[in-house]
Amino acid sequence: MRAIAAIAANTFREAVRDRMLYLFVGFAVVLLVGSKLFGMLTVGDQTKIIKDLGLVSIEFFSMLIAVMMGLLLISREVDSRTVFNILAKPVRRWQFLLGKYLGLVAVVAVNLALMTLLLVAVVWLYQHEFDPMLLFAGAMTLVEMAVLAAFATLFAVLTRPILGSLMTLGVFVIGHMSEDLWLLTRQLRGAFARAVIAAAYYLVPNLERFNFHTEIVHKLPIPISAVLWALAYALLLIILALVLADLRFRRKDLL
Amino acid sequence: MADIQLEVRDLHKTYHPGLFEKDVEVLKGLSFEVRRGEVFGFLGPNGAGKTTTIKAITEIIMPDAGSITICGLPHTDLEAKRRIGFMTESPYVYRHLSGTEFLRFCGELLGMPRAGLGRRIEAVLDEVGMSAHADRKMGTFSKGMLQRTALAQALVGEPELLILDEPLSGLDPVGRRDVRDIILGQAAAGVTVFFSSHIIPDVETICDRVAIVVEGEVRACGTVAGLMTDEAVISEATFTGLQPAELQTPLVSSHAGSDASWARVAAAHRDQLIRELADRGARLVSLNPVRGNLEDLLMRHFEGGES
Repeated sequence: MRAIAAIAANTFREAVRDRMLYLFVGFAVVLLVGSKLFGMLTVGDQTKIIKDLGLVSIEFFSMLIAVMMGLLLISREVDSRTVFNILAKPVRRWQFLLGKYLGLVAVVAVNLALMTLLLVAVVWLYQHEFDPMLLFAGAMTLVEMAVLAAFATLFAVLTRPILGSLMTLGVFVIGHMSEDLWLLTRQLRGAFARAVIAAAYYLVPNLERFNFHTEIVHKLPIPISAVLWALAYALLLIILALVLADLRFRRKDLL
Repeated sequence: MADIQLEVRDLHKTYHPGLFEKDVEVLKGLSFEVRRGEVFGFLGPNGAGKTTTIKAITEIIMPDAGSITICGLPHTDLEAKRRIGFMTESPYVYRHLSGTEFLRFCGELLGMPRAGLGRRIEAVLDEVGMSAHADRKMGTFSKGMLQRTALAQALVGEPELLILDEPLSGLDPVGRRDVRDIILGQAAAGVTVFFSSHIIPDVETICDRVAIVVEGEVRACGTVAGLMTDEAVISEATFTGLQPAELQTPLVSSHAGSDASWARVAAAHRDQLIRELADRGARLVSLNPVRGNLEDLLMRHFEGGES
């Protein structure tokens, strides 16, 4: 466990020194400027607009971190050969992968916590309303990002950095279109096209399962079963992606 | 039988670079053993398979066949890994960490008790002469400083077996002397040292025993003195009236001069050379036994004079 924690801490420290947390500043600017702008342009409940914009921005910036860090997560260690120092010590390869993954999740989590707290503060500023469900939305985005980070780790092991990042981005985009893909398979006539779309539907995780933005913004009830199913689904996906990554990395020659 | 700290048996490794590229057989049944307390040199030209062997020992690559044991344990055993200190060919370190942070990270990976880790790090940094730069980011280090820090991370866990890949290459004379002294100091303290090099004087100075590796095989192994005794049976003949290239006697090495030429032959071919020179009308000026050195031995194996 100490080795995993040490690798995760080192990954986190490296990301912080790479100024990865500065993305939070980008989010802050988008949220503050966007809130003001949409507030002026929109007739109706301004708080809903701020919440909606805030939650989407949090998800977007968290995804950026997962994609950008996934770009270098493994390749930097392998290309700079710092991984040699680690693997020559009493550390299993799966421990190395898990440490890198947890480091990535930690960076996303810290950024996400900062962004969520800023959103809560901005909502309070505009409406003098503390909405604890925003914290729940932040937590569910973290669950979604934990899934995305697991796939980023898998792609980092399977392929080269740029392609891996594109694949992670692809999982994010297609993962939010799962429902649409399902509808599309029912409407397409060509068997081949239907098979391709169906394959994408089944292979790419359905990230909409972690999205409760509509319920939170419009204060709709959220069934506990939906949350539990989402957590179980996330756990399954994370384990699957990390086990596949380990199977590939376990006997890989590092040159 | 001596206590064996590192045993490599019949190691094979072939790289498969790609679909349309030829496979590269790097290790071809390489075997050797390193005894407790000795400084063992792994000498060979670039591309001989030294780094590949070390990568196999440290589990950075997976050998196709063969076995490796460290302190009697399979090299994949975590306890075996806990007993080694490894330094890579070039100092691969994290540029965002200071020397102290890097060594702390390594100590954590080794599972060292946290209580004494700080003191151990200070002691090791002092040993490699890096105390004054302990808190500087490694991204600002010179090559020599990086090399010393990389050596420190190999020493921090107080290993029984030090595995050093080209530890002296790229250093200035002062750095070389310092690193050499550290290696000898470790050996004096009872640590077994296995180090690879293509720099022959380093091997001659430091090592108790040497393995000469060429094209993925160990071609000779023994004490430096023992290998040199074998080399001393070479004779060097100086002659005129014939070019070395015209000789049919197998030569170890030769040089064609405008006036006189010389050729070196193994003991088994000395009389044949004398007869051939006489038969072909050449004049033998001198014939002397030559004290060979490791370089001659390595070159002889490298050029395929002996296998």
